[in-house]
Amino acid sequence: MTNESLENVTLELRRGVIVLAVLSRLEQEQYGYSLIKNLADNGLEIDQGTLYPLLRRLEGQGLLKSSWRVETDRPRRYYLLSAEGRTLLPRLKEEWIGIVSMMEKML
Amino acid sequence: MSTNLIDTYVYEVGRRLPRKMRSDIEAEIRSVLQDMLEERSQKTGKPVDEEMTLEILKNYGAPDKVAANYLGDRYLVGPRLFPTFLLVLRIVLTVIGVLAAIGLGIALYQTTLSPANALHTTLKAFGYFFTSAFTALGNIVIIFAILEWALYRAGDKPEIQGQPKEKEWDPRSLTKVSSPNRVKMGETILEIVGSFVAIVLFNFYPQIIGFTPSLNGLVESGNWAVGFSNLNFVPLFSEAFFRFMPYLTIVWVLTILLDIVLLRLGYWKAWTRIASICLKIISIIIAAGMLGVPSLLAVTTTSLTTALGDANAARILMNLLNQVVRIGLWISIIGNGIEIIQAVTRLVKNNLIPQFAGRN
Repeated sequence: MTNESLENVTLELRRGVIVLAVLSRLEQEQYGYSLIKNLADNGLEIDQGTLYPLLRRLEGQGLLKSSWRVETDRPRRYYLLSAEGRTLLPRLKEEWIGIVSMMEKML
Repeated sequence: MSTNLIDTYVYEVGRRLPRKMRSDIEAEIRSVLQDMLEERSQKTGKPVDEEMTLEILKNYGAPDKVAANYLGDRYLVGPRLFPTFLLVLRIVLTVIGVLAAIGLGIALYQTTLSPANALHTTLKAFGYFFTSAFTALGNIVIIFAILEWALYRAGDKPEIQGQPKEKEWDPRSLTKVSSPNRVKMGETILEIVGSFVAIVLFNFYPQIIGFTPSLNGLVESGNWAVGFSNLNFVPLFSEAFFRFMPYLTIVWVLTILLDIVLLRLGYWKAWTRIASICLKIISIIIAAGMLGVPSLLAVTTTSLTTALGDANAARILMNLLNQVVRIGLWISIIGNGIEIIQAVTRLVKNNLIPQFAGRN
């Protein structure tokens, strides 16, 4: 039961972080699978089923833009921060730094 | 084989998605799966085969789960509408229950009662209640599902810059609601039920407001709504009375609408008080108009004499009936008058002298 609770809370904590992590990786253009690997290389493992719907949502909110491009033998969808996303990212980073310092004081 | 598996998997995800987004998501999943297979093949040094594809698909997740991630939470009746849905459901079920109980009461009273007859009538009344309740439930769910869909569509659109945001909730509004300004749930629901019964009774089954030798035909028919219209009733009210019916119906309909708004709000606002006062003034005018009509009753001393076989008793009964109608109208006028005075007092205190609002 304790392990289950720990898993649930950890999942919620990570869920909040994913958006910022994804936005921070998309200052350079990336396709879905390369983004997953990039995040994993930095220590953040994301479920495929979570990432792609999230990318669509962020695109719907105008924070990302995407385009299909054919490379080697198959089409890939590339994602990049939109102008609005670029404006928002530094402010989100500030928010994050504030949260971290607040939590450090608390814990 | 592995391409076939991917095709089937992508199709299974796609068929669970709305048509608008389907092809785009299908193409993306296909592209990602191929990337994953390619990387796995490079890592293991083996060519892509069925086993590897199955492993990748298992890792990607069950089609219904993957599709659900794209769709987000969707409801038939969502949390925003659910309280209103429950409220409407309670009101409608109460109305149906009251109608069924009235139908059963009349039927039991008028039937030559044997235990078998009573049981038969009661079971039929329950059957009527459950059939009507389920039909009503279905209709209400459909209406709310359409509303939910409309809200979902409206909320789906990206926020337009510069558009005014939703009005902020002010906690100070809590202090404005003093107890006399709270809507009394029980009374309001009772008023809705009463108005609804009156609308149905006077407009659709006016012939049953009167005297009838027996309701056996009704009980036998099994359907009291159809059964009522087939019976021979001697009408109680005259044509002059029914000339007021369109005005009364408008007042009842507006009363129901106002009551639903009040139940939703939970407390009285200035405009609801004014609307209620207006309805009461109209009710007084209608009642006064009725008092001015010489005969609201269809029965006469002559017809009662024939029915009772006693001219003296008929005369006394006729007098009594006329007095009851007049007293009833006067009670309605005085009652509405008192309620208007109370409402105006509350309105003045709440809006002109707000400091008294919480004390009364």
